[in-house]
Amino acid sequence: MSRQDGCRFKVNDCVEILDLGKAGHVRIPFYVRGKIGLIIQYCGRYLNPEDLAVGKTSGPTIDLYRVQFNHSELWGVSENLSQDRLVIEIYDHWLKPIEKIVEES
Amino acid sequence: MTKGNEHDHDHHDHDHSEVEHEALVIEDDVGNIEGQIMIDALQSVLISRGLLTAPEVTKEIQQLESPGIHLGAKVVVKAWTDPGYKARLLSNGKSAIQEIGISVGEAQIVVVENTPTVHNLITCTLCSCYPRSILGQPPSWYISKAYRARTVREPRKVLEEFGVTLSKEIQLIVHDSNADMRYLVLPEPPANLSAMDATKLEATIGRDDLIGVSR
Amino acid sequence: MRGYHDIGGDTAGEIPQQELPWLHWEKQTEAIRNLLGDGTRRIISLDEMRRGFESFGAEKYGKHSFYRRRLESMIDILIEKGVISSRELEHAVKEKKRVWDENSKAGIE
Repeated sequence: MSRQDGCRFKVNDCVEILDLGKAGHVRIPFYVRGKIGLIIQYCGRYLNPEDLAVGKTSGPTIDLYRVQFNHSELWGVSENLSQDRLVIEIYDHWLKPIEKIVEES
Repeated sequence: MTKGNEHDHDHHDHDHSEVEHEALVIEDDVGNIEGQIMIDALQSVLISRGLLTAPEVTKEIQQLESPGIHLGAKVVVKAWTDPGYKARLLSNGKSAIQEIGISVGEAQIVVVENTPTVHNLITCTLCSCYPRSILGQPPSWYISKAYRARTVREPRKVLEEFGVTLSKEIQLIVHDSNADMRYLVLPEPPANLSAMDATKLEATIGRDDLIGVSR
Repeated sequence: MRGYHDIGGDTAGEIPQQELPWLHWEKQTEAIRNLLGDGTRRIISLDEMRRGFESFGAEKYGKHSFYRRRLESMIDILIEKGVISSRELEHAVKEKKRVWDENSKAGIE
C-alpha cells in the first residue's frame, strides 16, 4: 500500500520500538521493545486494537508498518545466520525515528 | 467444572525466565465433554435472549468448514502460471485473491515469495493469527506454545524439526503476524511447471508449503 | 508490562506435530464468536476476546487448550458486559449436564 498523507515513516527509515508500559491488550510483543529495525512496508490505517479490546470502536485509526530486524539485534549473539530476518507489524505510536548510522546492505 | 467470571487481574510483568511452556495443551475426554456442555449451554442462553438462532450457528459452522488448502493452492498455481497475476498478488494479496473468486475476511493478506535464496516462515507469537478465511483452521502445532515461542528465536532449529535444512546461502525471513496482516507463503514452482496442468499443480501444494515449514 | 501470553522467544520443548481433529464444540465456539462479532451484533470483537484470555490469569491460560481459552474468555466478556448473567449460564450448564448424563446412562453417545 502506498504511503498516505500524514505518515511519519517511509520504507528504509530506521526506527526504535518504544516500550509504552501499557497494561491491557497490546499487540507489540516484549521481544521487540527497545529494539532498532527498518521500515520495509506501509500497511495502511487500522483501528487501534488497544481501543477495540475495551469496546472503543470510534477511532482514530493508526498507521501500521512492517518492521524488519536482524536476529542479533533481538537476541544478542545468536545461532541464527547474519542474513536471516524477523519481520513484524508495529503501530505508529510505538515507533520512534532513529538516525541511520550504518548503511543497510 | 469451571465457568466464567473468575477475575484474576494480572496486570504486572510476568517473569518468563523460569518458564518452559507446556508444548501443547490438549483436552482429554472429560475436558471435551465439558467444552461441549458449556458451549451448548451458552448457545441456549444466547438463543433465549434472541441474540442467535440455531440455524445461524449451523450455517456459520459450515462456512468455517468450507475454506481450505485447496483455495491457497489455486492462488499459488495462478501466480506460478500468470506473471501479471503474481505481480498483483505480491502487491495486494487480498484484492488478487478476491479477483479469482475467493472471499477474504481478513483486513489484508501479505504474500511472501520463496526464491532460490529466500525462504519465508509464518508464525503468530501472541495467539494464533492465520489466514483462516482462505486456508481454514491452522494445524494444532501452529497454535502450540512451543511453535509460538521458538519460531522467532530459533527458526532454523524449528525447520529442522520439520525436516527442512536450509543451506547457509539461503536467507530465512520469519513473519510474526501480530496485527492486521495475515500471511501466505508463495512457494517456488516445480522445475517441470509447464509439464503439468493446473489441477495436477494444485495437488502438489500442501498446507505446510503455505506456512513455510516445508520447501 | 509483559503478559503471560506474550511468549515469543521463550524456552519451549519440541513442537508436537501430531495432527489433532477439530472438534464440533470447538467449531461451535468459533462460530458463535463470529456471529456475536458480526456487523449486525457487534457484541464481542476479536480484540475483546483476546483481552479476555490475556487477563483471566496465567494459571487458566497455562492449563486450558486453545479453544477452551476462547470459550472461557467469551463467557467472561459476556458476563462483564451484562449480556448474560452467570446464574442463567450456570442453570443452563446444569440442565445440559443432566441431559448428557441421562443419555449416557441410556447408552446413547
